[in-house]
Amino acid sequence: MSDKDTIILGVIGADCHSVGNKILELFFTSEGFKVVNLGVMVSQQEFVDTAIETNAKAILVSSLYGHGEIDCQGLRELCIEKGVDPIILYAGGNLVVGKTPFSVVEEKFKKMGFDRVFPPDVDLKQVANLLRKDIQEKFGQARQKEEERSL
Amino acid sequence: MLKNEKIELKEFFELRKEVLQTWPTGQDVSIEEGMKFHRTIPEEKRFAWVMKKALQEGKLLLQPRAGVALIDDHIKLLRYLENEGQADLLPTTIDAYTRQNRYQEAEKGIEKSRQAGTSLLNGFPAVNYGVTGCRRVVESLSKPIQVRHGTPDARLLAEITLAAGFTSFEGGGISYNIPYAKRVSVEKSIRDWQYVDRLVGLYEENGVRINREPFGPLTGTLVPPCLSIAIGIIEGLLALKQGVKSITLGYGQGGNIIQDVAAIAAINQLAEEYFRQEEFDDYELTTVFHQWMGGFPEDEAKAFSVIALGAMVAKFSGAEKVIVKSPHEAMGIPTKEANAQGLRASRQAINMVEDQVIFDSEDLAEEVELIKKEVHCLIDKTYEMGAGDLALGTVAAFEAGVLDVPFAPSIYNHGKIIPMRDTEGFIRIFNKGNLPLTEEIMNYHHQRLMERARAEGRVISFEMVTDDIYAISKGKLVGRPK
Repeated sequence: MSDKDTIILGVIGADCHSVGNKILELFFTSEGFKVVNLGVMVSQQEFVDTAIETNAKAILVSSLYGHGEIDCQGLRELCIEKGVDPIILYAGGNLVVGKTPFSVVEEKFKKMGFDRVFPPDVDLKQVANLLRKDIQEKFGQARQKEEERSL
Repeated sequence: MLKNEKIELKEFFELRKEVLQTWPTGQDVSIEEGMKFHRTIPEEKRFAWVMKKALQEGKLLLQPRAGVALIDDHIKLLRYLENEGQADLLPTTIDAYTRQNRYQEAEKGIEKSRQAGTSLLNGFPAVNYGVTGCRRVVESLSKPIQVRHGTPDARLLAEITLAAGFTSFEGGGISYNIPYAKRVSVEKSIRDWQYVDRLVGLYEENGVRINREPFGPLTGTLVPPCLSIAIGIIEGLLALKQGVKSITLGYGQGGNIIQDVAAIAAINQLAEEYFRQEEFDDYELTTVFHQWMGGFPEDEAKAFSVIALGAMVAKFSGAEKVIVKSPHEAMGIPTKEANAQGLRASRQAINMVEDQVIFDSEDLAEEVELIKKEVHCLIDKTYEMGAGDLALGTVAAFEAGVLDVPFAPSIYNHGKIIPMRDTEGFIRIFNKGNLPLTEEIMNYHHQRLMERARAEGRVISFEMVTDDIYAISKGKLVGRPK
C-alpha cells in the first residue's frame, strides 16, 4: 500500500474555471500527495462520496466565480452526516461576489466549518506545508495506532 | 440528425414547444409581440446598427461586463455605467446557475440576495425574471444592450431576452460549450445553438436585425490565435446558415502587440474569404477585441496598466468594439465604481492613440500570413472531416483533436496541445497534439520557442507554461525563471 496521503481537488458548484484546477493537480502531485481531481462543477455530494471511496484526508475546494458562499454552505454538515467528519476542509479562490476584505471571507468560511481559507494569490508551497502539518495533527495519532495494531 | 442546414420552421416550432416548457416564464414568450416591440426601438439603441456605424466611421466602441441578482440593482448598475462610465454599449451578464439551466438554484440565489441586501449571484438571472422583468431593464436604458453569458443550451434564454428587446446575443455552439461546460457533447451544443441562430434568423426575416457574437477568447489562457479565429469563423458560418446577418467575431488579447494586431487583421480577411466561399454576401461583419482575459494583478494601479494597454492595442488593431476589464478583476466581480473606472481608463488610452497612424511592419505582415496559414489548416480539415458539412465536421474535429482548446473543462475536448510564449511574448504552440498544422508551421513555432529556452538557460518544459499563466498577475508578460 502506498503511504501517500490522498487529497481531493475540485471546483465547486456551477463554476467552470479549469485552469487553476489543472495547475493545482500538477503541484500537489509533485509535492507527494495522492491527488484525486474531480475537475470543475463538482457537487458537495460528489466531494463527500469520493472522500468515502478513497479514504481521503482532505478536500480542497476551489471557487472562482463568486457563488462560493452559496455553494459551500452545508459541506461540513454533509461530512458529519456521512461519517467522514475528521476530514480536513480547505477553501480557496475568489470565494464571494466582489471585493471583500480577506479577513471577512476567512471568518465566514471558518464558521461554515472550513479548517483553512486561502486568497487566490496564496503561495502554494505554504499551502502544501500547512496541509502536511494539519494531516499530521488530525490523523497522525490515529495512524500510529493503526500501525501498532497491524504490528 | 445534426447537419449544417437551415432548420425548417415546422421543426423549429416543434422544438420551441419543448424549450418554452423548461421553466414557467417560458409560457409568456411571444415572438410576435417581441418583434412588435423591436420595431419601436430607435436606431441608436440597436446593436447591429451601432456596430455597422462604428465600422463605417472607423470608431472603437467600449463595452463593460455587468450583471447582478436583483432587477432594480441591475438597472442602477447599468445606468451608472452608461452615465459615469460613458459606455457605448451595455451588457447584461448572466449568472452561472442560469448558464447551466439550473433555474431553481438561480431562484434561491435571488431569494438569498434579497435577504442579504446584496447580490450573491455573479450575474443577472434573466430566465427567472422572464420577458416582463427583462423588458424593464431594456426600457430603463438608452444604449444598445447585449446578453453576455456562457450557456451551452441558451435556447430559453434567447427566447426570453430577444422577445424582451435585447438586440445582441453572445455565444456559439463551440465557444459557449468547450470553455464553459464539463459534460455537454459538441453535437448537442451545436444543435442548440442552431436553434438560437434560427430564432435570430426568424427575427431577421421579419425585419428585426439582431447582432450575434461568437465568444473569441475561449479559455482566455494562452489560446493560440489560429484556434480562436478558426472557431469564431466556424460559428459565424453556422450562424449565417440559419439566417443571421450581423456578426461580430471576437479575439482575446494575447499580450504581444504585433500578434494581437495581426489577429484582428487575419479575422477580417479569413472571415470574408470563408463567408464568400459559402456564397454569403449580404452580412455585416465587425470585430471585437477583449482586454486581457487571464489572471490580473491584484494591485489596482497595475491592473489599470493592463487595461490601458488592452485599450490601446484594441484601437491599433482596428476592431469596432473593445470589452473592458476593471481594476477589481483579480478579486472577482467589480463594484459599479471600479467598472466605470475601467471604462474611463480605457477611453483615455484610446483617445490618445486614435489619431495616430496604425503601425505597420514586416513582422506584422509575416504574423498575419502565419495565422492565415494555420487557420486554413484547421478549417479545411474540419470541412474534410464532415465531408463538406461544417456542423458534422466540427463534431468529428473535436473527437479527433483536430480542434483542441487549451485548458478547457470539457471532456469532449482533447486538451493535448501545449501553448507557451516565445521570448518576445508571442503565443506559440510547443505540442500540437492532433492539430493538423504542417511541419513547416510547427518548425517555426519550435524555432521561436528554442530562442526563449536559450535566453532563459533552461529546457522547454511545462514549468514555462505555468510561469506564463501567472506572469501578468505577477507583473510581466513572459514567465521568466526567478
